[in-house]
Amino acid sequence: MLLHRLQVKFEYMSLLLLFIPLLPSLALLLTRHLPARGIALAATLANLAVTCFALLSFNADGSFNYELNLPWVAGAGISFRLGLDGISMLLVLLTNLLAPMIVYTSFQRNLGQENQYYGLVLLMTAALNGVFMALDGLLFYVFYELALIPIYFICAIWGGENRIKVTLKFFIYTFIGSLFMLVALLAVYLKTAPELAEGLPAATHSFAWEDMVAVQLDAGAAWWVMLGFFLAFAVKMPVFPFHTWQPDTYVTAPTGGTMLLSGIMLKMGVYGVIRWMVPLAPEALHVWSPVFLGLAVFGIVYASIIAVKQSDLKRLIAYSSIAHVGLIAAGVLAWNKSGMQGGMIQMLNHGINVVGLFFVVDLLERRLGSRSLLDMGGIAKSAPKFATLFMIILLGSVAVPLTNGFVGEFLLLNGVWNYNFWLGAAAGLTIIFGAVYMLRAYGLVMFGAANGQTENFIDIDAREWAVLGTIAGLVLLLGFFPQFILKLTDGSVNRILGAVQF
Amino acid sequence: MKSLLILFLTALAVLFAGLLKKRDQIQLLRMAGIVLALGAAVWDLEYGSPFNEMYAPMFRFDTYALSFTVVALLATLMLFGLTRWGFRELYDTLGDHYALILFSLCGVLCMFSFTNMVMLFLGIEILSIPLYVLAGSRRDDLSSNEAAMKYFLMGSFATGILLFGIALVYGATASFDLNQIHSVIVAQGHSPQMLSVGIILILIGLSFKVSAVPFHFWAPDVYTGSPTLVTTFMATVVKTAGFAAFYRLFGTAFAGAGEFWTSALAVVAGLTMTLANTTAIFQVNFKRMMAYSSISHAGYLLMAVLVAGQPGAAGALLLYALVYSLATICAFGCFMLVSEQNQDESFSAFNGLSKKQPLLAGAMVIAMLSLAGMPPTAGFFGKYFLFSVAFAKYPWLVVLAVINSAISIYYYFKVIIAMYFTQEENTYAVFIPRGFRWTIIAGLLLIALLTILPGSIYKLI
Repeated sequence: MLLHRLQVKFEYMSLLLLFIPLLPSLALLLTRHLPARGIALAATLANLAVTCFALLSFNADGSFNYELNLPWVAGAGISFRLGLDGISMLLVLLTNLLAPMIVYTSFQRNLGQENQYYGLVLLMTAALNGVFMALDGLLFYVFYELALIPIYFICAIWGGENRIKVTLKFFIYTFIGSLFMLVALLAVYLKTAPELAEGLPAATHSFAWEDMVAVQLDAGAAWWVMLGFFLAFAVKMPVFPFHTWQPDTYVTAPTGGTMLLSGIMLKMGVYGVIRWMVPLAPEALHVWSPVFLGLAVFGIVYASIIAVKQSDLKRLIAYSSIAHVGLIAAGVLAWNKSGMQGGMIQMLNHGINVVGLFFVVDLLERRLGSRSLLDMGGIAKSAPKFATLFMIILLGSVAVPLTNGFVGEFLLLNGVWNYNFWLGAAAGLTIIFGAVYMLRAYGLVMFGAANGQTENFIDIDAREWAVLGTIAGLVLLLGFFPQFILKLTDGSVNRILGAVQF
Repeated sequence: MKSLLILFLTALAVLFAGLLKKRDQIQLLRMAGIVLALGAAVWDLEYGSPFNEMYAPMFRFDTYALSFTVVALLATLMLFGLTRWGFRELYDTLGDHYALILFSLCGVLCMFSFTNMVMLFLGIEILSIPLYVLAGSRRDDLSSNEAAMKYFLMGSFATGILLFGIALVYGATASFDLNQIHSVIVAQGHSPQMLSVGIILILIGLSFKVSAVPFHFWAPDVYTGSPTLVTTFMATVVKTAGFAAFYRLFGTAFAGAGEFWTSALAVVAGLTMTLANTTAIFQVNFKRMMAYSSISHAGYLLMAVLVAGQPGAAGALLLYALVYSLATICAFGCFMLVSEQNQDESFSAFNGLSKKQPLLAGAMVIAMLSLAGMPPTAGFFGKYFLFSVAFAKYPWLVVLAVINSAISIYYYFKVIIAMYFTQEENTYAVFIPRGFRWTIIAGLLLIALLTILPGSIYKLI
């Protein structure tokens, strides 16, 4: 009884997750003299606390928790509807776990115009939480696009060389992709026939997730709808031929922006595939999935080979990110239990690992003034603490057993393998390549002869230790206890897999 | 009807106050007139217009007309916030300028409410003639003179074609009344040649007026040459009037006249958005870019005319017109301050504005994102409702419109890039007069409000 009463109030939990970052963000963007760093850190930590609280009383049977449904444009069947099932919860957890770290790591640099910077980061956090919670098609689209505006400004104001051209390309690419998603959403929306609720004006169509899933498309329409969604999500993830914006943008963006992009934002694409693309047009999945999986697996091999040849550490990690996300995409699109569960756990792991790796790059760049592997070497001797923590994060990224990456990659490869033996084998190359380029990079940074600069490399201080230590701790923790994540998403994955019949 | 009378009387009063050189009274009068007219329109919208029976064969101030009246008056009210500074150099002719704007507003209201083609024609003329004068109101500026001349020649040419079309339609149906024309067309079951030619001529005439491709050639020159305030008026109120009349005429009278005009118009719409967008990319002058952007928006708005009469089409048109007007006024407001204080009309005038005047830069960002239709700005909802109404019948046109929206990002972002990411070379300071500050803030608040409650406008009609 008590729990039930609490549950009623809990519907506002999803609203809290949205507004705790949103309101301070507006305050920071509209005024000039607020303590930006403190507010940003407090807001993101508060959001993390709310997330943990939401996890405590979370019902992981696949239903939507904390559901909130307000009419927005009632006559047109558009509502402000938020809710969390296991999949959403996982990604909200990822967002709010990484957000304080991203804010905290940004303290290391003197950015200038900090009000705007932290305001935009908070706006981004709010939009990302919105994307992962939205249960209304149009609301999802609005948040999906809203996330693009702050990251564009973050990259274009605080970015490096050539930032204007690179970020405009990024913006236009993703905007075009999303517009195709809008058309696909519209096509499905116009076929919905919702049951009329009492007391609301009659709407002939509806954007509610269940109503859109219930639509039966004919094969031709489903083919187009799935293509529209795929263009949007493939650009975001990015999958092979749509990835050209990504390495440049990652390299150009400031570290905080790169972390937001790689750690959280590209999961929007994977999440969109799971929540919207396949459930809305399952009729076309068997036609498209060989193509999608083929592209994803090709991207894995392609990006890995390029990563091996990189000398810029940031660019190397950008390409490795394409490879890792390609594997997640392939596993999810195989659309079986193992691939899906692997995708879930790996989305969280990849987010944690890649933020750690980009923090390492930032740290090296601040100390040495360069990101080139050729300028480094022999750092392990002068900075043993740094070397150890970097090693742990790196091993997580390479997916060594007992680190977090292992379980995820194993399940993903198993999923792809079950779909098609040869694709699974090709995707398996990612582990070999991953080990090659990561360990090569580690060797070039840490071992070998020290040069004038790296001889006096100062080991990490307490604040840097806090970030790297947390990430390394998470790498090991999730490596030992992956069940926690698997249990969280199990119910929702079963439900989505069961709901989609093709 | 009340609003129309109030506007007409205000215009006369302003004209006489101008003769008597009472500058302060003019400022007061025009504001009072607009506010009163706006109040009357809102009142009628709520409680019904009492004079409808009296003027039945000519006007009908129904919900459609009144909603558009509110939009046009709101836009003019915001515009009047900019005029004190914008018209600061016009000492002698201030009254004339305001009177001309108010007179042309009377024409706008006729174009919203006509039920008779004669009234449509009169409305267009009442609107246009003061505008020809306003376009040339910078008398010693050659480009302003050019704009007035071009606008006048093209405008009268278009009016001639329109009138010819009206005459032919009258010949075919023996009526000027929209409902009667409609019932005659429905009763005949097919369209006789004379009617078809008449409708096509009217279509061409109105396409001239709303600057749809291939009848758009006058627009960039006229927009660029006219004083910026007049350009703003043309791009917002006049454009709204053109489309509201277009929709009313084709939605009421020619709805059942057959496929021949819809397919022609669909091609015109597609051409308009594509050509205007691709041309806008290459502009270096901000005003000229906005002219092409305004033409491309005409292409989107034509989609509403295409599906005229379907549930939601009029609401989509209204919301789009309002959102587009708000964003355009904000953008031109910022541009006026920047360009006139810098003597530069190209994008470089905006360089480094974010550091000098964050308010103006922020307003410009919201305006540009809204014009591009980027969520969550109100512009997105304008586009969304328009696209969703048109999608069932014209999916190819919606896909084309979507691609064009993506293209438009490129040139709208030129302004943002100049303001935020380009080092400032110019050292001029930008001063914001009070009227501008309040107008821009009001515009931003309205855009924000429409983001939260887009349905309130959409479901009005």
